[in-house]
Amino acid sequence: MPQLEQVEFFISQLFWLGVFFVILFTVLTYITLPKIRAFLNQRDDFVKSHISKQDELIKKAESIIENYEAKLSEAKNQASQIINDAKDKALKESENLIKATEEKIQHEIKQTEERVAKEKDTAISELNDQLKDSATNFLSKVTNIEKGNINL
Amino acid sequence: MAKGESPLKQFEIQPIVDINFLGFDISFTNSALWMTITTAFILIFFTVPFLKAKKTNSVSDLYPTRMQVAAELGYNFINNLLADTVGKEGKKYFPLVFTLFMFILFGNLFGMIPYSFTFTSHIIVTLALAMGVFIFVTVLGFIKHGVKFFSFFVIPGLPVYMLPLLIPIEIISYLSRPISLSVRLFANMLAGHTLLKVFAGFVSALGFFGILPLVFIIALTGLEILIAFLQAYVFAILTCLYINDALHLH
Repeated sequence: MPQLEQVEFFISQLFWLGVFFVILFTVLTYITLPKIRAFLNQRDDFVKSHISKQDELIKKAESIIENYEAKLSEAKNQASQIINDAKDKALKESENLIKATEEKIQHEIKQTEERVAKEKDTAISELNDQLKDSATNFLSKVTNIEKGNINL
Repeated sequence: MAKGESPLKQFEIQPIVDINFLGFDISFTNSALWMTITTAFILIFFTVPFLKAKKTNSVSDLYPTRMQVAAELGYNFINNLLADTVGKEGKKYFPLVFTLFMFILFGNLFGMIPYSFTFTSHIIVTLALAMGVFIFVTVLGFIKHGVKFFSFFVIPGLPVYMLPLLIPIEIISYLSRPISLSVRLFANMLAGHTLLKVFAGFVSALGFFGILPLVFIIALTGLEILIAFLQAYVFAILTCLYINDALHLH
């Protein structure tokens, strides 16, 4: 087995192993790894700052939505109030109109009734007079008593 | 593979440039070449995507490039591994675990390239890595706890008469950590590559029926890539656990 037979190369192998291991270790420790670490750290910082920025924006958006919803519900309330007011007003107006109309009609009915009653009265009294006249005429003719002497 | 060639030949060290320093042979070999390639690849793979990456200023900057995603994947993988096993205190040891994991992982993976060399298949390399981890963890334990570190070998809540038996067992298990850590990685790499080579030999030997071992090799290559990842992962997670033991004892 060359591993155990070529003893003459042991020192050479150890020497070059030492040289390259030390070179590799030194360069990695002082140049490469700090470079990688610095890069990864600044990228992590960037990502973290972005995440915090994002959180801020989300909070902002949420407050905007809240604001919007509050305003929307306020506007809705106002709108429904206006509608109710308008309804009430219209209802009152129509009621007033109906009342006024009814009163007018009632008044007219009353007036008409009064007129009718009056006309009835005059008609009846006229009829009475005519009846009296004709009865007087009739009696005077039958009894030959002068008209002026008959008193019904 | 030429007929009759040993399946272990792939593990042979071949010097590329002979170097002699103070009487020591530190030749630049194929092993060192693949260590160079691994190191260079890791450094390019993890550094280049972040050189061009600009600061995140807008949401459209959040889309990383493909290379960047791959590099981040590796970074986060080790980060989570340490966080899960050691916790917050583990951050300090991140570069060590990261280097170990990537070095072993890409060493294993590049070893899967035909005609390449797997430096993690050499016991001397894995043992050196494991001993490094072992010494580091032990020193860390002593720095954190001083002499109290020896209480690590005493299992709490155990009857006193059991201690003479169990303390030696605990010490042996502690001392065998680097051996198990290194042999696990080395043996997995050795066995996998040897098996692949043995079956590759069957392909040429069986002629037409060589298609059967060929199919087997394809499946085995997939398995080997999994093992390459798995062994790097095991090495890294055990390092994490040892660090955790050193920090928190029991």
